[in-house]
Amino acid sequence: MNRAITNFDQKMLGSIHNYSLELLNDTGIRFPNENAREIFREHGFRTDGEMVFFKEKDIRMALNTVPSSFTIKARNPAKDIQIGGDNYMMAPGYGPPFIIEPSGEKRNALLDDVHKFCKLVQTSQYLDFNSSIIVQPTEVPQETAHLDILLATLLMTDKPIMGSSSSGIAAKDSLKLAELVWGNTDEPVMISLVDSLSPLQYAAEMVDSLMVFAEAGQPVIVHSSCSLGSTGPITIAGSLVISNATTLAGICLAQLINPGTPIVYGLGGSPTEMKTGGYVNASPEDAKHTAIVTALGRYYNIPCRSQGALTESFCLDYQAGMESAMMLTTAALSGANLSLHACGTYGSMLGMSYEKFIADEDLCGAIKKLMQPVEFTDDAFSMDMIKELGTSGNYLMEMHTLKRCRSEFFMPELSIRTIHNKWLEMEPRDITERAAGILAKRFAEYEKPEIDPDIEKHLVQYVNTRKGL
Amino acid sequence: MPETKGDLTMAVKDIAEAVAVFDRVKVVELVEAEIAAKTEIDEILNAGLIDAMDIVGKRFSSGELFVPEMLMAAKAMKAGLEVLKPHLSAGAVAAKGTVVIGTVKGDLHDIGKNLVALMMEGAGLEVVDLGVDIDAEKFVKAAVEHNAGVVALSALLTTTMPTMEIIVAAIKEAGIAVKTIVGGAPVTEAFADQIGADGFSTDAPGAVELTRKLLST
Ligand code: B12
Repeated sequence: MNRAITNFDQKMLGSIHNYSLELLNDTGIRFPNENAREIFREHGFRTDGEMVFFKEKDIRMALNTVPSSFTIKARNPAKDIQIGGDNYMMAPGYGPPFIIEPSGEKRNALLDDVHKFCKLVQTSQYLDFNSSIIVQPTEVPQETAHLDILLATLLMTDKPIMGSSSSGIAAKDSLKLAELVWGNTDEPVMISLVDSLSPLQYAAEMVDSLMVFAEAGQPVIVHSSCSLGSTGPITIAGSLVISNATTLAGICLAQLINPGTPIVYGLGGSPTEMKTGGYVNASPEDAKHTAIVTALGRYYNIPCRSQGALTESFCLDYQAGMESAMMLTTAALSGANLSLHACGTYGSMLGMSYEKFIADEDLCGAIKKLMQPVEFTDDAFSMDMIKELGTSGNYLMEMHTLKRCRSEFFMPELSIRTIHNKWLEMEPRDITERAAGILAKRFAEYEKPEIDPDIEKHLVQYVNTRKGL
Repeated sequence: MPETKGDLTMAVKDIAEAVAVFDRVKVVELVEAEIAAKTEIDEILNAGLIDAMDIVGKRFSSGELFVPEMLMAAKAMKAGLEVLKPHLSAGAVAAKGTVVIGTVKGDLHDIGKNLVALMMEGAGLEVVDLGVDIDAEKFVKAAVEHNAGVVALSALLTTTMPTMEIIVAAIKEAGIAVKTIVGGAPVTEAFADQIGADGFSTDAPGAVELTRKLLST
């Protein structure tokens, strides 16, 4: 088969890898941190100014120590997540500073929104872990906003958390809070996103946080992406080489600091909107990157990340559904191990929406169902029943059907499955208004998960002290 | 623009034409020829180069031209301007105004800032691009050094937006007669007002228009 998203044979992947090695060796990657370059030099790497150069054997050695799968502990052990293999874990939106209201209006996101989204994550059937910036609360001091979010995700949910990578200090805060919960950070208790800067460089703060997390052996998603045609070549092949080389360099640093640090390999690439210079986040080109990153993840035997249910739309219209579904389905079917932005994100990752969150949950659920292997047990074949009923059967009357009628099929919460007159009479009929109804129910059913009051006290104390309260 | 001079104006229009199809070599050739023919320098500048960029700007805004095409046109126009520069009366270029632009301290997003800077250059403004991660001190210093009319700040992170406020305040405190404008995806008009900036725009063409307006007041 030579479908565009499956034609990545070993030879093609090998050529991406080889060109990446060429860039790593000839052009190098810019690390603006002296302490990082010091580590590279100690291991015999060549540096020149802020540039670090890599040989094939350096990359090979680094790749050798990356685990092919690992577990991230949740506060509730039943909710631990396994990253790698056939698993696909989903987290909600990451980073949006705005809320897009059903009216279409946008407003600044607030800490209260962080709290509300935590309630939705906790009550979500489909989301597996938290985001470290589900929205960026804008009214609190920005230097300590990461503490407010970390505290909320730790107290209001018992699913795994993401650490904050916005600076070395934020990374250390993440570890401190985790220590208060788990006593130590010997095992993975969070995962954090470290983005490189295209082309071929890292920001100092990102490297600082990468180093803090690697020292602690905490998992890091090392992600690079080009804006095709502006921070990288307009062609996927060229941009891929840049992103792959940059990501490999970051992985290499983490493995030098602490061999065996769990890594999620990530690369993306989005078209530059050629009429405006804007960044387009949900496109066939983005989806293609998703397919390629998963193939490269398998090539390197490292778990891989993809983008989630992204869209450029700002309301629950055909475009939002179409783009979100294309992005997330491609991720699922091509074998991504983890997606951020699986729920709630609108136009260009700048706005979160409560209603989109509910709609995306349906999509996540449908996709998780789609990914499940078909059951081929004796009970599923149900040969005895088929023979017995022959041509006269009404399977609706069978115990076999009764036993499975609530669990066999995926049941959407928001999407409708009704006949036309019922739909016409539906009150409310509008999808955004229906989502609002589900939201109200979800907020009402939320219960704060149990936590040792002492731990809670210490967490709050730590955050207050850091905020100078 | 003078309507007269028949053939001469036609030739100047050719310059505009060449800019619009981003033919850098031809623009330089035509400008040189016009200078040799003793066409008024102001006319070459205004009816040739600047008019051309106005047209290009409009075509870009209407979606007819794509970004790389618009940028190539700007490059062609700049090449023509370089040829013209030694012949311009002192201050004729500077009069258009100098803009100091940069992404604020802590922020490394520069795609949007670069686009704004390039479009400003294309519109005939003198642009000093300080790059990314720029603090108040550097902005103030550059504004003084280049006698800037406008300082343009870009930020893409809510965590670096407060830095804009610090920079705007520092510029005011320095007592230099320069206008400040701000932009970047999370920045809003309300925020711009709140921090006392002189202007805000959601996109690059808007930033150019805004800057021109501020420079002419
Ligand atoms: C590309 C991108 C990156 C690239 C940047 C590459 C580069 N060289 O610039 C990379 C991957 C490196 C990156 C890194 C990060 N990013 Co980023 N990034 C984006 C993204 C997707 C697009 C930005 C962009 O280039 N847009 C295209 C340009 C053309 O548009 P623009 O910048 O808005 O500019 C236009 C206008 O705003 C205006 N304008 C711009 N500047 C100015 C100035 C003036 C004076 C005026 C008048 C107008 C004006 O005109 C421009 C042209 O029309 C945005 C999401 C988004 N849609 O904005 C996130 C986004 C801004 N990033 C985000 C984050 C969180 C980060 C990281 C912290 C992620 C991480 N954990 O690693 C790091 C931070 C690095 C740092 N210290 O700066 C968040 C910010 C959230 C927040 N709460 O503030 C966003 C919103 C995405 C998200 N949801 O996560 N990012």
